[in-house]
Amino acid sequence: MEVWYHNENPYPFVPQDVLDRADSVRASLPNKYCDPRVAADLFEETFDEFMLCDECGINVVAIEHHAGINSLFGANPLVLGILARQIRKVRILSMGTLISLRPDPVRVAEEYATADVISRGRLDIGFVKSGASEMASNNANPVTNIERYWEAIDLVTKALTFQEGPFSWEGKHYTHRHVNIWPRPWQQPHPPLWAATGDPETASEVGRRGMVNVLVLRGEEGTRRAWAAYRQARAEAGLPKVMTDHFAYAALVYVGDTHEEGVEIGSKLLWFLNTSLKMAPQYAQFLPGATPPHFAPQVYRPASKPDTQAKGSTGSSRVQAAKADKPVAPAILNVGGLTNIDSAQAMARGILFAGSPDTVYQQVMDFYRKVGGFGHLVMIGRSGFMTHAEAEKGITLFAREVLPRLKEIAPVTPP
Amino acid sequence: MNDIEAPVGERLSVKDIELEVIRRGRGRPVLLLHGLHTVDPRAPFLDLLGRRAEIIAPSHPGFGHSARPMDFDTVYDLVRLYLDVLEALPYERVSLVGLSFGGWLAAEIAVACSYRIDRLVLVDAFGIKISDRETPDILDVFNTSPQEVERHRWHDPGKWAPDFNALSDDEIVVHARNWDALCLYGWHPYMYNPQLKRWLRRIRRPTLVLWGASDGVVTPSYGRAYSALIPGSRFDVIAEAGHHPEIEQPEAFVERVAAFLEQEG
Repeated sequence: MEVWYHNENPYPFVPQDVLDRADSVRASLPNKYCDPRVAADLFEETFDEFMLCDECGINVVAIEHHAGINSLFGANPLVLGILARQIRKVRILSMGTLISLRPDPVRVAEEYATADVISRGRLDIGFVKSGASEMASNNANPVTNIERYWEAIDLVTKALTFQEGPFSWEGKHYTHRHVNIWPRPWQQPHPPLWAATGDPETASEVGRRGMVNVLVLRGEEGTRRAWAAYRQARAEAGLPKVMTDHFAYAALVYVGDTHEEGVEIGSKLLWFLNTSLKMAPQYAQFLPGATPPHFAPQVYRPASKPDTQAKGSTGSSRVQAAKADKPVAPAILNVGGLTNIDSAQAMARGILFAGSPDTVYQQVMDFYRKVGGFGHLVMIGRSGFMTHAEAEKGITLFAREVLPRLKEIAPVTPP
Repeated sequence: MNDIEAPVGERLSVKDIELEVIRRGRGRPVLLLHGLHTVDPRAPFLDLLGRRAEIIAPSHPGFGHSARPMDFDTVYDLVRLYLDVLEALPYERVSLVGLSFGGWLAAEIAVACSYRIDRLVLVDAFGIKISDRETPDILDVFNTSPQEVERHRWHDPGKWAPDFNALSDDEIVVHARNWDALCLYGWHPYMYNPQLKRWLRRIRRPTLVLWGASDGVVTPSYGRAYSALIPGSRFDVIAEAGHHPEIEQPEAFVERVAAFLEQEG
């Protein structure tokens, strides 16, 4: 198994009363609350953590989010450019430039090819669907987002692989008459492609394309469902079975000296769920295109709003009912089940792996067996108010005590 | 977008497109183009106007219970569809009443084809850019909190803002389809055509520009500017009405519209 370190580089230092008053901590929170001197320190710390991972043999992940406290990485290619040069040994996953929000995917392809060349072939390219507040921040029409997502992936892939250019692209959403990127990527035919999605419909297409499907905090049930859709779509298309290295799972992960210490410090990662997901209804259940109309009765009625107050709630009964009724749960219902959970619940659901080296290893392997195996663990190792020192301790302990055991697990083809 | 279930009510077929349609009343024909949402068949203004005109009120493709062809995704698909509708209707000329987003469509249709139109009524219409580049003319209904949007839409939001707990499942599905379709067609540039303003002078039919005095989605001053760009058009406001005067003040709305439609010459 490969392990990847993920730190969104959040900015948690906005006064709590400001966050409480704001209807959204993403997209619309004024940037006067972001002190660039504090942000500079956070970038420094995060890049140091990535470089520590490089020493320890843990691959690194760079994400992209916009205009919110959950992440300062608003420009993935810039982050990638720094990592491509500073990280010397491990692989780098971009997850990703938010592809459906960029007006010209050819630019993105060229940025990716450049990072792949600078890193001498250590780039993995991840595609993230985006949604919610990203649409407002990027002026991107949410209704056609998924169409743009797939067309952009097609165009990026062709730009990365076509060597007899220029070629012309006149698609539904993108036109570019003269595509001929320089340099072309180091890896041939192109860097490995990943896609982050939990909805079975998208996972099916990810499966047909043979991309790595990464599930982020989806827990056992959602993960099994997406990967079953992936495998079934391949079988139906007459494509060969894939090995477990086509599946990745991202969880909050922290290792301490003792189980108690690991859980205590690891619980700080829940800030991501309990604070940084707060979004106004216009970026959530009322965002056009976010909820298939047949789901609207479940999510529009105030009585069925995802319950963000009651501790321990996994969402209202209506949300649960919607999940049971239809095979494709919109992301908003998943978010509804994630907010305001405590560490015990998060651990029980496979969202948080925390404890001592032994107990974390057991939790990872329990989850591994429950979902039928995966070849990549993405460890979200720092969030919220966890300190840089705590994050580095967790990385070091994980690398020394857990990573060697996970490395023993070779990719297999499930029966 | 094409998840619409069995057709409900009457249909209007134009070539390969089939639209849900409300037909009401008798008299001079009026093609009514809806705005943010489809017309509620129970809306009192329909019967009131129906006493003085024949109303044909289709749901645009993607809205209400009208299916949307997969390749149908710009305002100009709607404009050309309604040019087809005008040609297909069994009348020499039809009056066009456009509400809000439908007012944008009506203005575009009138620019393209005045000869099929008898009279034109634009009600709290979108479609053009008036203010400077840093002053939006039209409230961003997608990036604004729902409560704020409702506060801007109505003179009396307490009375008219939708209560989803009181709506049926089908009504909520329709609401969601309307919202998705409106976003698809109107997201960018947001609810206007940068080129339309210069061509409004092509509208050569009698035109009434009618506005809710309390409209906070797009204000009466925008309406006045809109009217000034259409040769010979008249501007009028309806008191104690927001963005939807046909709903908040049905009697006053119908009186103004019908009186205008009945004028000679």
